[in-house]
Amino acid sequence: MKKITELIKEKRVYFDGGTGTVLQSMGLPAGQPPELWNITAPDKILSLHNMYFDAGANIVKTNTFGVNRLKFNNYDQLISEGIAIAKKAAQGRKDAYVAFDMGPTGKLLEPLGELRFEDAVSLFADNVKVAAECGADLVLIETMNDSYETKAAVLAVKENCDLPVFVTNVYDASGKLMTGADPAAMIAMLEGLRVDAVGMNCSVGPDKMLDVIEDFKRLSSLPVIVNPNAGLPEIRDGRTVYNIDEDEFSDYMVQLAERGATILGGCCGTTPDFIRKTVEKTKALSYSVPEKKNYTCVSSYTHAVFVDNDPILIGERINPTGKKKLKEALRNDDMNYILSEGIRQTDAGCHILDVNVGLPEIDETAMMKKCVSSLQAVTDLPLQLDSTDFTTLEQAARIYNGKPLINSVNGTEESMSHVFPIAAKYGGGIIALAIDEKGIPETAGGRAEIATKIIARAAEYGIDKKEIIVDPLALTVSSNPDGAIVTLGAIKLIREMGVKTSLGVSNISFGLPKREMVTSTFYASALTCGLNCAIMNPFSEAMMNVYHSFRALNMLDNGCADYIAYASSAPEASQKSTAQAEETLHSAVVKGLKDNASALAAELLKTTDPLVVINEHIIPALNEIGTAFEEKKAYLPQLLMSADAASAAFEEVKRTIPAGQSDSSKAIVLATVKGDIHDIGKNIVKVLMESYGFTVYDLGRDVPPETVRDCALQHGCKLVGLSALMTTTVPAMADTIKLLKETDPDICVIVGGAVLTQEYADMIGADHYGPDAMDSVRFAEKFYS
Amino acid sequence: MITSSPEDIEPDINELAQRLGTARGYKDDLIEACLKSLRDHIDYKCAYIRIPVDLSRENICSFDFAEMKSRNLYDNLKGCSESFVFAVTCGAAVDRYLMKLKVTSQAEYFVTDALASTLADTFCGYAADKMKAGLSCRPRFSPGYGDLSLSVQQPLLERLAARDLLGITLGSSLLMSPMKSITAIMGIRNEKDN
Repeated sequence: MKKITELIKEKRVYFDGGTGTVLQSMGLPAGQPPELWNITAPDKILSLHNMYFDAGANIVKTNTFGVNRLKFNNYDQLISEGIAIAKKAAQGRKDAYVAFDMGPTGKLLEPLGELRFEDAVSLFADNVKVAAECGADLVLIETMNDSYETKAAVLAVKENCDLPVFVTNVYDASGKLMTGADPAAMIAMLEGLRVDAVGMNCSVGPDKMLDVIEDFKRLSSLPVIVNPNAGLPEIRDGRTVYNIDEDEFSDYMVQLAERGATILGGCCGTTPDFIRKTVEKTKALSYSVPEKKNYTCVSSYTHAVFVDNDPILIGERINPTGKKKLKEALRNDDMNYILSEGIRQTDAGCHILDVNVGLPEIDETAMMKKCVSSLQAVTDLPLQLDSTDFTTLEQAARIYNGKPLINSVNGTEESMSHVFPIAAKYGGGIIALAIDEKGIPETAGGRAEIATKIIARAAEYGIDKKEIIVDPLALTVSSNPDGAIVTLGAIKLIREMGVKTSLGVSNISFGLPKREMVTSTFYASALTCGLNCAIMNPFSEAMMNVYHSFRALNMLDNGCADYIAYASSAPEASQKSTAQAEETLHSAVVKGLKDNASALAAELLKTTDPLVVINEHIIPALNEIGTAFEEKKAYLPQLLMSADAASAAFEEVKRTIPAGQSDSSKAIVLATVKGDIHDIGKNIVKVLMESYGFTVYDLGRDVPPETVRDCALQHGCKLVGLSALMTTTVPAMADTIKLLKETDPDICVIVGGAVLTQEYADMIGADHYGPDAMDSVRFAEKFYS
Repeated sequence: MITSSPEDIEPDINELAQRLGTARGYKDDLIEACLKSLRDHIDYKCAYIRIPVDLSRENICSFDFAEMKSRNLYDNLKGCSESFVFAVTCGAAVDRYLMKLKVTSQAEYFVTDALASTLADTFCGYAADKMKAGLSCRPRFSPGYGDLSLSVQQPLLERLAARDLLGITLGSSLLMSPMKSITAIMGIRNEKDN
């Protein structure tokens, strides 16, 4: 028998249809897992498979959709029996295959849920090992509505067997997965992971899939699977029924086949009759293998970014080189600062964010993983994973949700032999630096030659030329007079090779005064030569001016709409000063005007000592709103707005203090205790404490007592704040206090949270009960006075 | 499935005030701005079934998917032999948006979190009204109310196919993801009692 991967390239192939629908008609009680019948009623499962094969299906799905070790202790038996029954049905039939059916775990992965990525991989891996041993012909990963869980499942298959992998996701009526991915994002990621066929199933009927199939046709180089429901479910007489019958269903399947679906079947509500009619109506239709697509893209968990004529901005701000604040944040594990940089660049209009956390004194791999996960919780932009450490690149590519941009490979054998296997396994666009063992060639032609060498070597790993984005490198014109000319020449040559380009443009002006003038002019020249991507500072007005002007001038900005929006969003300098003239820093903080507070603090710091700004402007303003809150003349949202404004002003103050010299004498460790995930109260205390100038070591939520103790010891911090919302977690708070007091009786503990009272606080040995955030701040002020 | 445009659901201002700790009816520019932004991320969905409920044993409510031991629910469903069982959600994008706000502005985070909870509850009421369609129903009752254990969430969500239809999953502490989701049971009064 041919391998299924060969058959799908030769002709239209058919999946079976619904399982639950048919089994319920055979007597499966509502609410009972159908998989149990693999053991208790195998004849009925055999009959189900035979009916589908008889109807014309080539592939039957094993009755194992919901099986995993979390749900069934005997998951291995359910899988092995399920596969044995399907194989029995396939025996002796022509072109009959058994797909090991693997559905979602039922748990949501971090950061939205609590299942860790590697735990999900392990859960799927246990299933796959059994399936491979039992002789399934392929694995079908189906009904996935989360891109991250899909990736975990694919990796589990790839790492534990060599069976072909088909993947179908659930797109809702808006054409997206439940967690936000569109078809372009899923196709980018799944082709990168080298699955064998992609597509969609469940959720909607074939009619609703007609729009989505267009994206697959346009973007997928792989065969496309379509397994729709029999329309939408309706409740009739207490039973779930579907609103499309087999005639209508099969008519729609003809349209889906004509629009590029090459593997057809059904999902919920469909029966052997649906498949029979689909086969009858589509088998005579002409068949063609999906053509290979030649676009370059990377993706996040929501969307793909295409690298083409429209310039791509890659934000450079998360890279410690030359950035003392970021270095300090990395050393102090200050994720808030790093995430803020990510969000600011997203809001500034970047398309991709570069992430480089390489510092000699930190564990780069661990920090990179943490940054990638955390950034993907707060921004939906694709990330450029930037490291010279191969382990860091590998680990980051593994946990990345989407198809990353890998930065970088170069023309040395050591680099290529390490980076290409990473891209081959996890997928990814790759930035290729025009440098090799001999250094950076002095000529444009020399740099293009290295690009050619890298592309050829990538092909040996099955990596297509379209995945390579060449950085011809820019050498500063202050020491290399022809630096710009050579780089611009290289961009042109590489573009003529049909290869995309990227450039860290700011290097060109290194060592020169007023660098922005040179850098932005060089950027404009590079764009004119065909540069695709620029790694740049999106907060540089000069650079963004070039970007928007270039797009408007080159018919890349329909009706100049983006340019007009950009130009009108930048306020004139005179307007800024007028607005600020009416405001003082004090009033801006009291009113909670974050942007004004930041600008006014910056202005004040030009003439005023930082400590005076804090003690005579920011703190009195906070006290004013704090008192109003205590007197119930202001509410918590207003207090928090003032705290936000004060924090923004503090950031300006911090900028004037050299890195490493900030005052950490007023510090507090904050944690929501073990077992409790409600952290809103703790976060309110945190923001107020920070606005009052405290250094806050925020340990987050669900924090074990030992972690709190270790943090207090590590920083020599004598003040600890603990919060709990649930009655059930108060004992964990008591345990934490006990451990802290045993470790150091001088440590002072403030407790707070919805379930706490003064009596509770006394009972568990706390030093102070804070009924609200302002009270906790007042206490902390007194503690350090 | 019941859905609604984000613009069609107005938050209950008094419930919001309670969550924010402000005076009844309190509104300000921050709340208005947060509501406007939040609506870009909301995707209301409700899945429901109408099924019999058997109350023949004291304090036991028997559905076709689970038996629930709860005096409070039993009392709530008295006079009903059928009920709606349903789940609503504001969608996963709201959770991600809240994560972002947690980094950028605690004030906006606090207000938006309260708004999202209020809107989930308001949409729950909206969906319940749609289901009723002229029927006389008891007030809705959710797992976690009174003595009804949160442990009924698992079979209830499975019966509704809530993972597939709404994207709702349960964590180990029986809290739902997306966070702004609600499950409920609403008894349909027997006709003779109407």
